Amino acid sequence: MARALVDAHKKGVLLERSEQLAVLAEQLEAVTTQKAGRLVLVGGEAGVGKTALVRHFADSQPGARVLIGACDPLFTPRPLGPLLDVAQATQGEFLDLVLAGRRPHEITAALTKELRRRPATVILEDLQWADEATLDVLRLLGHRLDDVAALVVVTYRDDELDRSHPLRLLLGELRTETTVRVKLSRLSAAAVNELARPSGMDGEELYRQTGGNPFFVTEVLAAGPADIPHSVRDAVLARAGRVSPEARTLLDAVATVPPRAELWMLESLAPNEFGRLDECIASGMLLADGSGVAFRHELARIAVAETVSPDRALALNRRALVILSQPPRGAADLARLAHHAEAAHDAGAVLRFAPAAGARASALGAHREAAAQYARALAYSEGMPAKKLAELLQHHSHECFLIDRFDPAIASEKRALGIYREAADRTKEGDSLQRLSHLQRCGGRSREADESIHAAIDILETQPESRELCLAYAGMAMVCMNADDTDGTFKYGAMAMSLAERFGDTESLVHVLNTVGTMEMLTGDLRVGREKLERSLELAMEGEFDEHVGRAYLNLADVMVKLRIYEGFDEMIERGLDYCTGRGLDLWRLYLHDSRAEAQMQQGHFTEAVQTADLVLRNQETYLPRFLALVVVGRVRARRGDPEVWRLLDEARSIAIADNELQLLGVVSAARAEAAWLEGRLEAVRDETEDAFARALRLKARNYTGELAVWRRRAGIEDGDLPIEVPAQWAAELEGDHVRAGRIWTELGCPYDAALALSGSDEEASLRDSLAELQRLGARAAAALVARRLRELGARGLPRGPRESTRENAFLLTQRETEVLELIAKGLRDADIAERLFLSEKTVNHHVSSILRKLEVSTRTQAAAQLR
Amino acid sequence: MPRYIVERTFGEGLHIPVDAAGAQICLTVVDRNADEGVTWVHSYVSDDKSKTFCVYDAPSPEAIRKTAGKNSLPVDSITQVSVLDPYFYR
Repeated sequence: MARALVDAHKKGVLLERSEQLAVLAEQLEAVTTQKAGRLVLVGGEAGVGKTALVRHFADSQPGARVLIGACDPLFTPRPLGPLLDVAQATQGEFLDLVLAGRRPHEITAALTKELRRRPATVILEDLQWADEATLDVLRLLGHRLDDVAALVVVTYRDDELDRSHPLRLLLGELRTETTVRVKLSRLSAAAVNELARPSGMDGEELYRQTGGNPFFVTEVLAAGPADIPHSVRDAVLARAGRVSPEARTLLDAVATVPPRAELWMLESLAPNEFGRLDECIASGMLLADGSGVAFRHELARIAVAETVSPDRALALNRRALVILSQPPRGAADLARLAHHAEAAHDAGAVLRFAPAAGARASALGAHREAAAQYARALAYSEGMPAKKLAELLQHHSHECFLIDRFDPAIASEKRALGIYREAADRTKEGDSLQRLSHLQRCGGRSREADESIHAAIDILETQPESRELCLAYAGMAMVCMNADDTDGTFKYGAMAMSLAERFGDTESLVHVLNTVGTMEMLTGDLRVGREKLERSLELAMEGEFDEHVGRAYLNLADVMVKLRIYEGFDEMIERGLDYCTGRGLDLWRLYLHDSRAEAQMQQGHFTEAVQTADLVLRNQETYLPRFLALVVVGRVRARRGDPEVWRLLDEARSIAIADNELQLLGVVSAARAEAAWLEGRLEAVRDETEDAFARALRLKARNYTGELAVWRRRAGIEDGDLPIEVPAQWAAELEGDHVRAGRIWTELGCPYDAALALSGSDEEASLRDSLAELQRLGARAAAALVARRLRELGARGLPRGPRESTRENAFLLTQRETEVLELIAKGLRDADIAERLFLSEKTVNHHVSSILRKLEVSTRTQAAAQLR
Repeated sequence: MPRYIVERTFGEGLHIPVDAAGAQICLTVVDRNADEGVTWVHSYVSDDKSKTFCVYDAPSPEAIRKTAGKNSLPVDSITQVSVLDPYFYR
């Protein structure tokens, strides 16, 4: 029975897995020969045999170095749990860093160094439960695989990832060149029959009941020849029912302390039954791994844990809490303590361990876990001293903010504010209002943010000058910047700067330099502004003010996109993304994707732009970062003449209206004006731009004024001379000089805008240039408008434009030419190719010369080499 | 999932042999589509085989364009559609 299966495994037989094992072997081979890393993602439902597969693979490489780590099924997992397993095996510097609780970027650097020193296969299991810090390490590692000759294999339950599961978001960001997916399916009826044969059990019936889930099949076979149980749970319990009562009690204890019971712990947890451990292992329920034991499968652990009576579970959790708080060596594991404290309903212990676990998780960059630990403590906070509670609330608020969860962040800060108000602690009250304002602003509630920051300053100005007042001035400067209020930004910026210098407060200085520098760049003082921003970035990095580093990158990206500066842009974004990933700064990572998507769109890279924007949009729980991504995808659809433009632009407009700032309203108005114009609905352009245009003029915002004025002019609206000077590319078109406008846009690196500027010309030559460019870009909607104008002018012989498939191809080969080239690479002669493709030999000959010309090569062999 | 009609123009005509090789071409396209959650329902082909009108279920127009790129298929236009049934029209 079970023996048969175990024997089969020992003999090295794994039924119906040869294809997947071959992929793993292939990837390992590629790592060895090409000296570059690969990532293999093994997905499949619970019990389908992911662990069996990867362990079998590991065992098939005798002598090779394999490092294995697994994620915990704890509600709030231990930060970096699986990497700690790996580090226990490597020892050395890597272990020191993981134990010291360093952040993802340092952990990744140490791991890559370790893997370069001694190559290995790294296996990380059950990623569906991974903590945020572990996922960030994997994300960073995924981008460094070119330089690390290591095979990284991760397993996960692919059917348990909902659309916004953090792992799913990560999978979308991995580079396809170095990533391979392996899918595990259930066993076939034939395989189940083969497994059932030695037991004499009815293989067909076994297949019908288990559906071929390997874990289910194994459990049933192990439980023996009684009736086949109806569920995995029944099968596990039937098997567990075959051990002695003492051994069963021991199983209960192990089931209560996931993920694994250390021997020293189990000895105290179940002293009378500890001697039965051998029986549990021999029965196949538990696996031993040197210093501890664990259930063979999480499904088995859950089945057993569910049968433990509530009073016994409570007693076990209480005892586990005491035992774990005094480990024989090393520091106590705070995340596990917090877990057992909550399971034991021990309020005192929860309040002792959960906030400490939260602080540790936060320091590691695992902000999602940190927020969960603080929330756990808050659930037990009744009767807590007010001051302590307010601090706990602010910690919770800040962690929620860092992971882009604004509703709970604002709710907790408001509760803290209420406590300080009641205690008449005016400075803390002002400080809390200043924090609240920041949360409200980032959460898209600018009106409330405005009120809060005014209230903060009113209160703090009645008190002696303080660091809090300085932060409030800096906050006010930022509110003004976001509202495109230049004067306000500089006024409060100067006040904050002088106070920051007086108090020697670096954080405030970083904050305000960032804001003022951004505004200076936007208003034309490029060099001075950029110096301030770079200095802010430098100081923030030195002082490890993570959030301000994220903001500095974001503001820099935003300014560059607004001013259409692309030199060094990609490198800057990469650095920013790397930094934010390494510190768990999710929110800023999303904003950086936004900026990159917009820059790609501006440069005419539509396919890349929508792909980047999708990284933000697939994250369903985020709010404000969605705005720009929606606009980018909506605009690209409109330009290509694709459907479903307005659903996206409507959602973007509703975010902008709720937020009520020009920096959103201006962007969405221009996008909607463009979409209406492309549809030929010129009369709609006035409505779409009226409010934003008036506001841009009032705030003297040069960029928005210029862009909106041009859209209104294109729709035939006469606004007369503008009271302010706008950037040259728009000014030229407003003066009626389309050719010059087109040239400026081309110099800026914006081909689509250049073509649109030319499209307003009356000259046939300019219109033809415009049409050709729009067709090249795949901007079908605009191309159709220009073609119509040309026809109205009597132009003939207009090109239909290259087809989509041609544009996707780097060498501009047509689909047919690509097919021919593929056959050439296989060594076929023209006559053979002609036969294969149902073409005449002459036509093939023609294709071949065209291919040689386009690839700029002279022989068929050279052409074939381009394919490889 | 939304349904779309994708119009394609094949300058040299669309030629998929009606044999095992042709079936393989179709299945390869179907497999590649599955990566993006795109389902090719079926196509209408003009008599001269230069134009096709392909019915697709897909999560977004971008997904259709992406799979078209992977399959080296041209895209003229993508239109979102719904069914109008003349005999059950009320």
